Amino acid sequence: MAGKEDYYRAVRKKWLFVLLCAVMIAVALILALSIGMYEIGFADCYRILIEHITGNITDPYADDIVINTRLPIALFAIIVGAVLALGGAVMQTMLRNPLADPYTMGVSSGALLGASIAIVLSSTLPLFNEQWVRIVMAFGFSLIPAMVILLFSFKRRVTSTKIILIGIAMMYIFSAIVQLIMITASEETLAEIYSWRVGTLALTTWETIPIPLAISIVCGAVLMFHYRRINVMMAGTKSAHSMGVDPERTILVEITIVSLMTAAVVCFTGTIGFVGLVGPHIARLFVGSDTKHLLPAAAVFGGLFLLLANCLARVSGEYGLPVGVISAIIGCPLFIFILIRMRRKSAWR
Amino acid sequence: MADVEIRMGKEEYKSTLSRKITFLLICLGVLIVTTLISCSVGTGYEFTKTAQVIWDHLTGVTYPIRSPDWWADYYIFNNVMPGVIMALIAGAGLALAGTVMQSMMENPLADAYTTGISSGACLGAVVAIIMGFSYSTVISGAGIVINAFIGSMIPAIIVILMVRYVGNSPSTIILIGTALTFFFNSMVTLVMITASAESLQDAYIWQVGSVTNASWSDMPLMLVMTLASAVLVQLSAAKLNIMSLGEKSAKSLGLDVVQFRMLCIILTSVLIASIISFTGIIGFIGLVAPHMTRYLVGGDNKFVIPGSIIMGSTVLVVADLISRSLMSFGNIPLGVVMSFIGAPVFLYLIVRRKSQKDVF
Repeated sequence: MAGKEDYYRAVRKKWLFVLLCAVMIAVALILALSIGMYEIGFADCYRILIEHITGNITDPYADDIVINTRLPIALFAIIVGAVLALGGAVMQTMLRNPLADPYTMGVSSGALLGASIAIVLSSTLPLFNEQWVRIVMAFGFSLIPAMVILLFSFKRRVTSTKIILIGIAMMYIFSAIVQLIMITASEETLAEIYSWRVGTLALTTWETIPIPLAISIVCGAVLMFHYRRINVMMAGTKSAHSMGVDPERTILVEITIVSLMTAAVVCFTGTIGFVGLVGPHIARLFVGSDTKHLLPAAAVFGGLFLLLANCLARVSGEYGLPVGVISAIIGCPLFIFILIRMRRKSAWR
Repeated sequence: MADVEIRMGKEEYKSTLSRKITFLLICLGVLIVTTLISCSVGTGYEFTKTAQVIWDHLTGVTYPIRSPDWWADYYIFNNVMPGVIMALIAGAGLALAGTVMQSMMENPLADAYTTGISSGACLGAVVAIIMGFSYSTVISGAGIVINAFIGSMIPAIIVILMVRYVGNSPSTIILIGTALTFFFNSMVTLVMITASAESLQDAYIWQVGSVTNASWSDMPLMLVMTLASAVLVQLSAAKLNIMSLGEKSAKSLGLDVVQFRMLCIILTSVLIASIISFTGIIGFIGLVAPHMTRYLVGGDNKFVIPGSIIMGSTVLVVADLISRSLMSFGNIPLGVVMSFIGAPVFLYLIVRRKSQKDVF
């Protein structure tokens, strides 16, 4: 009886972490809305939101700024952070590698290649809609590595090591091509490709949100639904076999889902690093490695992390910095800390 | 009977030995020929003429000033050869460092930059190029070199210090190296993102690595470092062989693993820093050259070390040759050519890798 009680208490604690993160997201969201060039107080943001919902707008200018400029950015920060951290948690668990992240299959380098081709094309050819061509190209190219892994799986058995190695190889090949493009590009094109690479949320509008939101909700739900299989994968391929899970198929299916989900956000934002790597590790410190709790915890924590990072990004520098830089600067020391901790006492596993 | 068998074994060993030595000599020959070809491409002089001019120069023959031969000599020596020779030395040094790292880390995917040296150098150089800030009083040229050198020492020192606290296993060193690379890269990004378009381009070109601006005065430091390290590493080839057996075996064979590893890291760090601070970060050569050599001469470091020095130089000289031949299509630096050579070779290495060791 006592054991059961303990277990339930532990589980409640884990869900409490998820809930806490969710509440903090709600608070941070208002904070994110109040930050910017045009000063709007913390409490005013509440008022504006409520007024917008109820329909009697008293200050149309502030309403426009909060609802049409800041709210989509903040919401998208939550979505992107959640997707990346969730993807990272799944990849780390499934490939049994603490250094895996959603970009391990080469999604980011594919997206970068697609985007840079689109940027170079748009500087030479008149395209009807530069923004969307870039997004579509980035999305298409970012799925190439996953397709290569799928094709490879028809010929030979795939293992987690092979997937990581294929991902690295694809990354190298793509980045060789990107290097060539960037070297031969004009100064302005280079600057544009470079800033795409860093990853920013500043370009977000309401039009940006629906597609990635829909894709990530569907994919995220499927992943959470598959949590048992992903859990089993952590025990190794042999144990997975003996527990009635086909490891190869599971890896392929989940990887495709993660790639799709990651590609859907990356093609809008560029590659924002470290959320997918560090987010799951921090969530793991609080809730442990059971993916039943880890996946939702990683998702909410990732959302919170990127939302706060974006707040920091907007206040730093003269006109704000891209969020990718901030998340790297916060993420790196955290990553080193986690590494040291991993050596001391194995938080992993 | 037994006596005969032993003699057979000995003879067999000797024959493979002589085969390997012959092979190394052939590679050396190929390297010399490639270098000469590379010196003559794009100059407008024939191959034999170039060889003649270089030979004459080396043997001290002088031509009357402003005669056609004098111009040929002047042009080849001051405009073409510095780049070629720099590619040669850089290839040798980086391949050597890569060999040491791979044996030391017991990891076939380690390369010269595993400890994060390249990203530190990159930060130093980028800071000099974009912000005009330098540790020395000179801003351009020498300032970039000095900055890159000091910058590349920072991650090396951090690795050496951190290893004391978090453990000395190869995987720890690789992890710390990875983390430091991430960190310095994000600092580089931070600097680059604030840069104007022109200085961004300069910084990016530096990052990719090229030898187009080489001059003779850049050479002495990297030449001395490469030669000295080559001699030292060759002398400790037996120790490296023991290291690649794994830490436990090495310890039981009487090698002070921790000390030796530290010495290797310090040596390779200084070597790599002295090269990349002049050339920028040329990727893949430290990864690919040792593998190609091992594929051809086997795993004994006594042969792998000279072999990969020669192989590295050859590959980089060829890459430089390709990059200069492509000049008419646009300025494609050595580093880009090297990525295009290196990435497929890397893929090939992965595909034919037999053992299923974890990467990290």
